[in-house]
Amino acid sequence: MNWFANAWEQFRLAFLEKDRYEAYLRGFGTTLEVSLFAVLLGVALGLILAIAKYMAANHKRFRPLGWIANIYITIIRGTPVYVQMLIIYYIIMTSRDTSAVFAGVLCFGINSSAYVAEIIRAGIEAVDRGQMEAGRSLGLSEMQTMIQIIMPQAVRNILPALGNEFIVLIKETAVIGSIAVLDVTQVARNIGNGNYRYLPPLLIAAVMYLAVVIILTKFLGMLERRLAKSDRR
Amino acid sequence: MIDVRNLHKSFGDKQVLCGIDEHIEKGEKVVVIGPSGSGKSTFLRCLNLLEKPTEGSVVFEGNDITKASGRELNKIRQKMGMVFQHFNLFPHLTIRKNITLSPVKLGLMTQAEADQKAEELLSRVGLSEKANQYPAQLSGGQKQRIAIVRSLAMNPDVMLFDEPTSALDPEMVREVLDFMKQLAADGMTMVVVTHEMGFAKEVGSRVLFMDEGRIVEQNKPKEFFDHPRDARLQEFLSKVL
Repeated sequence: MNWFANAWEQFRLAFLEKDRYEAYLRGFGTTLEVSLFAVLLGVALGLILAIAKYMAANHKRFRPLGWIANIYITIIRGTPVYVQMLIIYYIIMTSRDTSAVFAGVLCFGINSSAYVAEIIRAGIEAVDRGQMEAGRSLGLSEMQTMIQIIMPQAVRNILPALGNEFIVLIKETAVIGSIAVLDVTQVARNIGNGNYRYLPPLLIAAVMYLAVVIILTKFLGMLERRLAKSDRR
Repeated sequence: MIDVRNLHKSFGDKQVLCGIDEHIEKGEKVVVIGPSGSGKSTFLRCLNLLEKPTEGSVVFEGNDITKASGRELNKIRQKMGMVFQHFNLFPHLTIRKNITLSPVKLGLMTQAEADQKAEELLSRVGLSEKANQYPAQLSGGQKQRIAIVRSLAMNPDVMLFDEPTSALDPEMVREVLDFMKQLAADGMTMVVVTHEMGFAKEVGSRVLFMDEGRIVEQNKPKEFFDHPRDARLQEFLSKVL
């Protein structure tokens, strides 16, 4: 009984005392905000990279575009996102009024784009070659076939992997405290710093991450089932 | 209608077509047979430039399509229907959408006109009730008939068939061949790559035998099957008949 009372007291101190839950929620809001905008930026950049790679693979004259995309992807995927974040914040975006949140979004968006590019490319390549041939043989242009026939099918391959990327991204942003963004992890650390009891606030932060990941996973499952509509027999 | 001159195609070091000269008249039903790897599918795919020839020309209705720009090529392809071994229906679209997509997107028909056309063609193959279903819900034979209908919706001048029955269960081959026979009887110009010798005999106005990237022998079906001259053709026929 004593143990439970003690645990509750610690939780109360870490979460309820002085309305600390508000700080967690604000922090968690920042985490979600950074993740969401980063994934949007990542998808936009990733799509451009994927198109560059597709064009390079299918048309000789676009080959240099493919090289550039590959170099970009290799560098971004081959270095830690933490290091990228520090470089962007301390070396590139050094002007005084730079918002740390913006730097974070930029960093995680750029990082994510390299992975998203590969996800999109793989999703397009997984569509049967015959689909492009069928579209072209009907007189549709490459662009029309891409938009009307290939992409709608590729999206089904892409969305689940993209959802995973989003989930990974949410968790990765936990290092953003290093550039002075008050995300939920940093809030938990700060609260722990108050009385040197780190476990309760960190557990609270962990539960918040876990909750959103579980919810997103469920949502993705639903989305996949909806997209599988035309597979029904 | 189609004039093929000195057609060569190689994939890397491998020469698949080694100089093909062929003329296909309007209304002809040309059946191409030959052992696998003889280049017959590649030949067919060169006719609408799904494969780009390494050398030679393909002249369709007066236009050399090997020299056509991308835009011209798209126009030309509208007039050349193609049916694939694996149907290549669009799995994410209903049967009706499969049929109407290209005429509508290419601005040849309004959605209403295309729907009307799809309705006519579907009732012709007895698949009207499938209009709102998806390809995955159909049998192989039904899929292939829909694929033919999809091409026909473009009002093509010629239909190219690339082994249209090779991926079908035996009991479904018939329904596809029957539909192709109807098309032939309506006067459609057809080029058919197939292993169906019965179809070649019955429907073909001319049969070509290809081996090692060349047209080795060609003749009217009766002469072709009753009195083959080339030794390789004799051997091939003795195996398949």
